[in-house]
Amino acid sequence: MAAINAPTSQTCPASVPPSVFTLPQTAQLEALYTIIRDKDTPRGDFLFYSDRIIRLLVEEGLNHLPVIPKTVQTPTGVTYEGVGFEGKICGVSILRAGEAMEAGLREVCRSVRIGKILIQRDEETAQPKLFYSKFPQDIASRYVLLLDPMLATGGSAIKAVEVLKEHGVPEERIIFINLISSPEGLRNFCAKFPQTRVITGWIDKGLNEKAYIIPGLGDFGERRYCE
Amino acid sequence: MSDVFQDESPDVSLDGGNFGSLPTSTTIHALKNTVLKSHGRPPWYGEDGQPISDAFVIGIAGGSASGKTHVARQIVQSLGSIPTVVILSQDSFYKRHTPEEVALAMENKMDFDHPDALDMPMFTQCLMDLKKCRQTNVPVYSFQEHQRLDETQYLYGATIVIAEGIMTLQDPALRGVYDLKIFVQADSDLMLARRIRRDVKERGRSVEGVLDQYLRYVKPAYDNFVLPTSRYADIIVPGSDNHIAIELISTHVRRQLRERARRFRPKIVSRRPTGLPLPVELWSNSSEQTPSNLIVLPQTPQLKGIYTILRDEATAKQDFIFFVDRLATLLIEAAVELLPFRPRSIETPCGVEAPGKELDAVCVCGVTILRSGGPLERGLQRVINDVLLGSLLVQTDLVTSEPLLLHVMLPVCIRDRTKAKNTWVFLLDAQIGTAASAFMAIRVLLDHGILQDHIVFVTFLVAGDGGISALRWAFPEVRIVAGAVDAHLRECWVEDDTDESEGQIRRRKVWVIEPGMGQIGDRYYL
Repeated sequence: MAAINAPTSQTCPASVPPSVFTLPQTAQLEALYTIIRDKDTPRGDFLFYSDRIIRLLVEEGLNHLPVIPKTVQTPTGVTYEGVGFEGKICGVSILRAGEAMEAGLREVCRSVRIGKILIQRDEETAQPKLFYSKFPQDIASRYVLLLDPMLATGGSAIKAVEVLKEHGVPEERIIFINLISSPEGLRNFCAKFPQTRVITGWIDKGLNEKAYIIPGLGDFGERRYCE
Repeated sequence: MSDVFQDESPDVSLDGGNFGSLPTSTTIHALKNTVLKSHGRPPWYGEDGQPISDAFVIGIAGGSASGKTHVARQIVQSLGSIPTVVILSQDSFYKRHTPEEVALAMENKMDFDHPDALDMPMFTQCLMDLKKCRQTNVPVYSFQEHQRLDETQYLYGATIVIAEGIMTLQDPALRGVYDLKIFVQADSDLMLARRIRRDVKERGRSVEGVLDQYLRYVKPAYDNFVLPTSRYADIIVPGSDNHIAIELISTHVRRQLRERARRFRPKIVSRRPTGLPLPVELWSNSSEQTPSNLIVLPQTPQLKGIYTILRDEATAKQDFIFFVDRLATLLIEAAVELLPFRPRSIETPCGVEAPGKELDAVCVCGVTILRSGGPLERGLQRVINDVLLGSLLVQTDLVTSEPLLLHVMLPVCIRDRTKAKNTWVFLLDAQIGTAASAFMAIRVLLDHGILQDHIVFVTFLVAGDGGISALRWAFPEVRIVAGAVDAHLRECWVEDDTDESEGQIRRRKVWVIEPGMGQIGDRYYL
């Protein structure tokens, strides 16, 4: 049982930067990834199972937020020494694929504020360029959960963090959440922002010549919204 | 027409005028293959989790139109306040016929009164299942189509089983199954007279036809197969004016049941907590070397924060519901990790082959212990798409404090015994205090043929000094996934304002977990 349930496709976590956290690599999680990677998976299943992974990622991300001691009285009349959540949060999704993670975020953090950011490749310079951004006014005082499902080269994510920092969010208060990372993308991103924590579900083999993650799952936004 | 035709139709009132003299305005209607319940089912198992006694099985034989079903009804009625009774009719067990046989039957040229017309192995199997407290699926035979139908009737949970039919005492192996064997005796001419009146009056048939049928099949069968079995009966009961015989029988059955109850009472699961210390192994995703059957979620900052909100009596209802749903999802996600997986390779949209895994289980379903297991359902539905969801209603008897099983509604993959052994069940209940309802629910699943290690009990809260130790000891292979373990289980009284008609406030004893979360079902639903 142990051998069968051990994951097979995870790439060497030894070389992963210290600010990167992966979900526990269980057989169950690998089965979820197998479903969403399969090119023959129907769209309904893709939505359902990617939502499940996103929820787990958000739950893991939230565990990096601080809590403070709190004492409450239970309905049985006993006091209980617990903890309370500390600090305000908001989500920021990188359009368009990042929006797919919002439903999962709101299932865990009810009515959380969500900012948006559109970054595309500039055809002239081949560099990522900011086209649009809309954030809550007090974003500088919030913890930010940055949402983008796939971390390939890291270009857009790096640009997004730069924009957030310009809006006054310290990089250590940003938690970047994605479903699949490439080792190259993680290296690039973490070299640039060592203080920003990255929560990823799975680290894949690498990138192909078109800068797609291999084996990956294709274009997440496309499969989520358009196919 | 064969004689079985009249016996079979459930719309024929066997009380019709000439049968017996009991008032027809009875509240208990004993149709064939029915389950009769006067109140919930008390525990039928000991603290080791094993059933402590078989169902009490009564076999009733006798000629066609002798009054077997009527005697069965009289016994049920005479027993008064009874636990669940199943009346199983042998007429449901005619064999599946070939098209040629159906054609013969349509012309009334098929002998339904011969023992070979019945599927005796199947009848024996169903009876044994019921005797051993297992579920059974009784075939449904259509006397209109003269064929066994594809549908079956699910029966489970009888304390008394009454099997009736002309051949119930025919098979030697079958005779060993009964605790009490009854033969209903009526004169041949009386049975023929009843038969003629019924067929002519209610089926519009000619006296000629009925007599022809009777002489060709019914009478020889009675003489050759049915009447000789009367010597195996413990008691021979007249088909009419039989009040004293019925009284004797019901007195005997009541005494037998009391005797069993008295003998097994000390072995019935104790309602008191054992007070044993609870060894808790915390959940660890990576290490698989601790084969503990109690798995507690890792106490992360978020989990502690969620529990603080849920335990707080000042938490608003909408917050309580939201965080219960969130917690339920986390618990179910942890529970599904216990399912088996097998390797599976797929191709990604990038055209790359990738190794992966898939679920290695035929059927996965949920069973909720109502009402307080309900708050876990949302989590299960978020994690397993279109999950099959059964339910059990277990209530505590106000007088004896015993759990009573009031309602069983299970998915098809549990109802069917051949599927049950390949089915995984997530059993949902808000907390494990005395563990009385958990015990009963697990026993119901095991009775249905679910394997112990295919049951995962998911719960928000466990009382460390409650019934959990006894539960783990009785069912060591059932795994329990909990979010938290609390220290104490305390006895207290709550007031029920439901019984206003009596003008007094009823109090009932409940066990509460401390510090606990209060009454989770009330806080989630009311």
